[in-house]
Amino acid sequence: MTHDYENPWGYRLKWLYMLTVVGVLMLPVFYTLYISFNYGGFGAAEYEFTWLWYRTLFENQEIRTTLGWTALIAVIVVACTIPLALLAAKFYQRTRFKVPFVFLMLMPLFVPADVTAAALLVYFKNLNTLTESVLGLAMFELSLWTAVIGQITWCLPYAFVVILVTMARFRPEQAEAARTCGANAWQAFWHVEFPQIRAGVFASTAFVAILSFNEYVRTNFLKGGFDTFPTYLVSYMLNTGMTPEVYAMAGLFTVVSMSVVIVVLATTMLRERS
Amino acid sequence: MKASGPGGAGRGILWRRLVADDGPGRLLFYLPAVFMTVFFLVPLGLTLVWSVFERTMFWMKPGFTLAAYGDFFLSGRIDSFLNSVQSGLATVALAFALGFPIAVFVRRSLPPAAQHKAVLLFILPFMISEVIRLFALRPVLGRNGIINDALIGSGLIDAPLDWLIFTPTGVVIGEVLSFLPFMVFCGFLAMEGVPDYVFELCSDLGSGVVRTFVRVIVPLAAPGIFAATLFIFVNSLGLFLVPDLLGGPGAANAGTLVVNAISALDFPLAMAIAAVMVAMMIVLLLIGHRLFDITRILQPYR
Repeated sequence: MTHDYENPWGYRLKWLYMLTVVGVLMLPVFYTLYISFNYGGFGAAEYEFTWLWYRTLFENQEIRTTLGWTALIAVIVVACTIPLALLAAKFYQRTRFKVPFVFLMLMPLFVPADVTAAALLVYFKNLNTLTESVLGLAMFELSLWTAVIGQITWCLPYAFVVILVTMARFRPEQAEAARTCGANAWQAFWHVEFPQIRAGVFASTAFVAILSFNEYVRTNFLKGGFDTFPTYLVSYMLNTGMTPEVYAMAGLFTVVSMSVVIVVLATTMLRERS
Repeated sequence: MKASGPGGAGRGILWRRLVADDGPGRLLFYLPAVFMTVFFLVPLGLTLVWSVFERTMFWMKPGFTLAAYGDFFLSGRIDSFLNSVQSGLATVALAFALGFPIAVFVRRSLPPAAQHKAVLLFILPFMISEVIRLFALRPVLGRNGIINDALIGSGLIDAPLDWLIFTPTGVVIGEVLSFLPFMVFCGFLAMEGVPDYVFELCSDLGSGVVRTFVRVIVPLAAPGIFAATLFIFVNSLGLFLVPDLLGGPGAANAGTLVVNAISALDFPLAMAIAAVMVAMMIVLLLIGHRLFDITRILQPYR
């Protein structure tokens, strides 16, 4: 394609560099995974493979509860974020105020998690005082829902971008043709456009699910009196240090995220081939 | 147009009203903007108001005082903040030096079908929780971690390097490893729409590697580079886990300062730091947008 092919060694060297960088980024994660199967944990003299630490993990009732909360939040966040992202992408295509709208949608990416979370925390506390004095009911007590709201502000930009980029490949003439043939806006979207952007929607669903599953800072600030898996892991780690259980929890975390990514990639590639 | 089209005849009248062009359904499209305004823009804007409130024992009360700003700018906090600005800048520079060439390589030298797959390789580390990736650096960089083990084992050094972690260097390493994928994504995304002949022209016209890079590639990718730079910089100031997990004693960044202020129930101080961060972000974002229209990244050329 370009002159790079003329020098095969330069080309191979660049490939090597790219794969090395990916390897370096992944190495610490794989290393913890490796340690998590060691009977003696980190720094043991010899390596002895065991499932023991994972078994301890799953026998722990508290951890099972945290996994339940994490999954529940992830499901709610996905169910809210994906429709919002679709609406936002459609809105972006039509609106005259593209730049302010993009700024509004993407700004959460450029504000650190702790700043957003702290601002939301104080906001919710104030809203509580307000709704309590007006309605006699504190509507924004820290709970599952405040954590969900915090996570949606974080996940929506990503889902928006992924869906927007997919939608940009769809030719609007097709939807216009459907409209001319008598379909209403919903039918033109659902029967003509959606099947073509399904891959992007699928990818962003997985993306949002993982983002929600991994999210720590916002959840930690905004959750009610329960723990999600990440918040449990961090407080456990800060309290007890680097015990084998911590490695096993980290390993579980990694395996869940990676399997979702691999399933998505495999499905996408199979779909492309067929 | 509002009449039921093919396949719509069986649906209820309510549904048809809802999805009609002038039906109430169109209001739904405003929902994302409303959500973001109510739960993001307004709270962040209000940080400015709350930051001048008076601190009470457990909360704050309306008033006007700049005490919180004084607490931030006229104390040791500003030093921690400036240190974290420094490591943020170092992180940005390193991420650009290490990550951007990858984006260029993928865009220029890989066949079109392989480009997205190569970029997707960088999704994998990004999809592992930040908490895990930072935590995983401890057994790698620590005194008896694999790097020191390997270096001692190969005879290169005698004593373990102890500046790899729990130092400002450790913070920068953690941040670079966390944020490098963004440089690859944004750099690639910005160059994706650039037609291939631009690159071919450069070599056909005899432009050298450096000249092509400085005069052609960087300007074309500028919106992406800027987006990634801003993202990395602001987030490295904010991620309070990094100094906690990898920094030495007393290491702090803006995120740590906010979290500590909240735990100390000093809400006006937390809001003042938040307001400073937001103001900084908005100024940088506006400057960047002026210089290189950021929305260009989102509009692939056809």
